Amino acid sequence: MLQAIDLTKRYEDQELALDALNLEIKEGEIFFLLGANGAGKTTTINLFLNFIEPTGGKALINGIDVTKEPLESKKYVSYVSENVMLYGNFTARQNLDFFAKLGGKPNLSKEDYYMQMREVGLQEEAFEKKIKTFSKGMRQKVGLTIAIIKDAPNILLDEPTAGLDPKAAAELMQILVNLKRQGKSIFMCTHDIFRAKNIADRVGIMKEGRLVMVRTREEFLEDDLEKIYMNYMQEMVIEK
Amino acid sequence: MIWHIVKKDFLLNIFSARFIIGVLLCIILIPFTISVSIDEYKNQLRIYAVDKENSEKELKQIKVYSGLKPELIKYPEPLGILYKGINQNVGNKVKIYLQEYPLFPTGHASTRDNPLLNAFFSLDFITVLSLVLSLLALVFSYDLITREHEEGTLRLIFSNYTGRIPFLIGKITGVLLSLLPILFFCFLLSTLFIVLSPDIKLQISDWIRVAILFIFSILYILVFILMGTIISAFVKSSSTAIVLSMLCWIWFVFLWPVSGSYLSKSIVKTDLYDNVRNSLDDLDKEYGKLEGEQWGAIQKRLNMRGTNWWNASGGEDGYFETYGSPSETMEFHRQLNTWKEPIRLSYADRKWPVQKAYLDGLIRQQKMEKNLSWFSPSEILVQAVSCLCRSSEKDFLRYMDETRQYRETLVTYLKDRNLFEKYIYFTPQDPATFVSTADFIKGNNNVPDHFNTLDLKEVPTFIDIPAAIDTSLKDSFTGIAALILISIILFSGSIIVFNRYQLR
Ligand SMILES: Nc1ncnc2c1ncn2[C@@H]1O[C@H](COP(=O)(O)OP(=O)(O)OP(=O)(O)O)[C@@H](O)[C@H]1O
Ligand SMILES: [Mg+2]
Repeated sequence: MLQAIDLTKRYEDQELALDALNLEIKEGEIFFLLGANGAGKTTTINLFLNFIEPTGGKALINGIDVTKEPLESKKYVSYVSENVMLYGNFTARQNLDFFAKLGGKPNLSKEDYYMQMREVGLQEEAFEKKIKTFSKGMRQKVGLTIAIIKDAPNILLDEPTAGLDPKAAAELMQILVNLKRQGKSIFMCTHDIFRAKNIADRVGIMKEGRLVMVRTREEFLEDDLEKIYMNYMQEMVIEK
Repeated sequence: MIWHIVKKDFLLNIFSARFIIGVLLCIILIPFTISVSIDEYKNQLRIYAVDKENSEKELKQIKVYSGLKPELIKYPEPLGILYKGINQNVGNKVKIYLQEYPLFPTGHASTRDNPLLNAFFSLDFITVLSLVLSLLALVFSYDLITREHEEGTLRLIFSNYTGRIPFLIGKITGVLLSLLPILFFCFLLSTLFIVLSPDIKLQISDWIRVAILFIFSILYILVFILMGTIISAFVKSSSTAIVLSMLCWIWFVFLWPVSGSYLSKSIVKTDLYDNVRNSLDDLDKEYGKLEGEQWGAIQKRLNMRGTNWWNASGGEDGYFETYGSPSETMEFHRQLNTWKEPIRLSYADRKWPVQKAYLDGLIRQQKMEKNLSWFSPSEILVQAVSCLCRSSEKDFLRYMDETRQYRETLVTYLKDRNLFEKYIYFTPQDPATFVSTADFIKGNNNVPDHFNTLDLKEVPTFIDIPAAIDTSLKDSFTGIAALILISIILFSGSIIVFNRYQLR
């Protein structure tokens, strides 16, 4: 379970990057956060991972305050970053092995890694190839595998579909649905309204640091999500 | 947890291009420098053998005690192959005089066969090692954090149960472990070269010193790794980090050591040796006047008109030898020596404070340089190593102390046997065969022209006792303590800097 309570962030003397975010993502729920560039999505993830200090409020992972117990909270969260580079001179399997061990899974075998990589749709011949020869999408899949292997109850994804081909993106959605069925809380930032419509249980729209709208699946299926999103964005343009 | 990071970094490092470049650098540089050093050492051994033979031959030929001026030849320090240190600045010969304490040796420490080649810039193992290792340590550590940052792996790592300090320790250990094979390889290579040279014999204790050198080098590498780590945690990009690291390298390894010795010279002024020499010469002149007066006084006392010599020869430091001279002249010289040698010794005692003041000035200057060197890890290493390789200024000063002590024992020997007052001090002739002045004038000085040389078996000989390993360790202790202290400071600094590192 992920919780944000009045979570606020201001970088140096700039405007608020995140303005009193209140949000709760339950077990077995997929939450999609939409928003223009610079809206504050990555900032939210950074706050959950305690990569940055909140200016106010708090972020909880499975009830653990991430600023109070940063290390402990990391046990319960996996993270897929925007642009996964990984160690270029390691093979996919070596990268998995390293991060699995950091993630508290020291006893996995080669076969376990292979199985997981197959699951995310990575071609067999890539398993023992150096990551530096990988395309962006292939790296992204390895990054996803790392998150899956950690098997944490909460998963934070920052635009994971960027760079994936449509088939891979669809496969990723399927994986997320499977993870949700296992009871995991999934928080995904994206620009991909289409995917949101497909699998999200709830969708939020963020604008200039404020969560301006949250709709449940039933609600956003009634209205056209794309239209809602555009309306919010338009307002912003007009305001400016 | 730490161990996984260590292993990862070790594997990534040893299969990297920079590792291969590092190994290649060592393969090129180490054999070259070590063989040059070995060559030079062999040369020193040859010079030593020649000098030693000459000095022994000279001693064997003396027939009177006033000619006893032993020349001490310093055996070339085998560990000088690894680090030359002071031995390349000072000579290898010390002649023992009565009228002056030995201050600096004369002669060549290392001469190449061809003097025209003397300007050849010859490095030694430790100097090369200190350059290469510091460079490699920085090259391996400048992107310790920036690289992980740039590849996004830093965020991925810290999305796990990994603390910043264990991460830092793991990374630093990883780099250190990856540099160890290179360091080991360098030592192995140079050791092989030394072992395979038949002329060079290292004692077991010398090998222990080499092993300690190895440990010092690890510490030295660590300092530069930590320096790179701080830089890497301080800046945002690898390109900035490499520029800063190289600036640090140039500063700490080249600029500071050079400016350090320059600064110490301008901060602590020393007397010119020419001035010192002048005051010493003044004392010599003063003595000369006294001796002149004494000649007249003794002649008067002996009722002599003048001195008549036969087969007389003289030389430096009161050496005078004659035979066949009339007994009156002989007695004159005996009385002169009885008076003059103690006076000459007392003049040496008076000259010593002047020499000592000059030496103290030099030492102060050197201390200043040493104090300034605390700002450069490579200088600290070199200082510590010089003690271990018995090539430090302390070793040199101890050696000179030993030579002065030896002079003291020699003087005591001469005094105890009242040799100044004896005829044998200046004539090999048996006093019973001295001729009278009247006979001498008649040309009746029938004396043998062959005399036995002195039996010097009982004359004390000089034994050079090089610093024992515990003395060397004690000498190098401050250096090592400084390196450890710097490591601790840098490590704490890198923790502080990295704790404030923004993971966004
Ligand atoms: N390190 C930083 N220092 C200062 N300001 C920052 C920093 N990171 C983000 N910001 C600001 O915070 C705001 C939110 O940025 P954030 O990265 O969260 O946006 P985002 O929603 O993830 O955008 P995108 O869709 O482009 O990834 C932006 O105005 C940005 O300029
Ligand atoms: Mg973002």
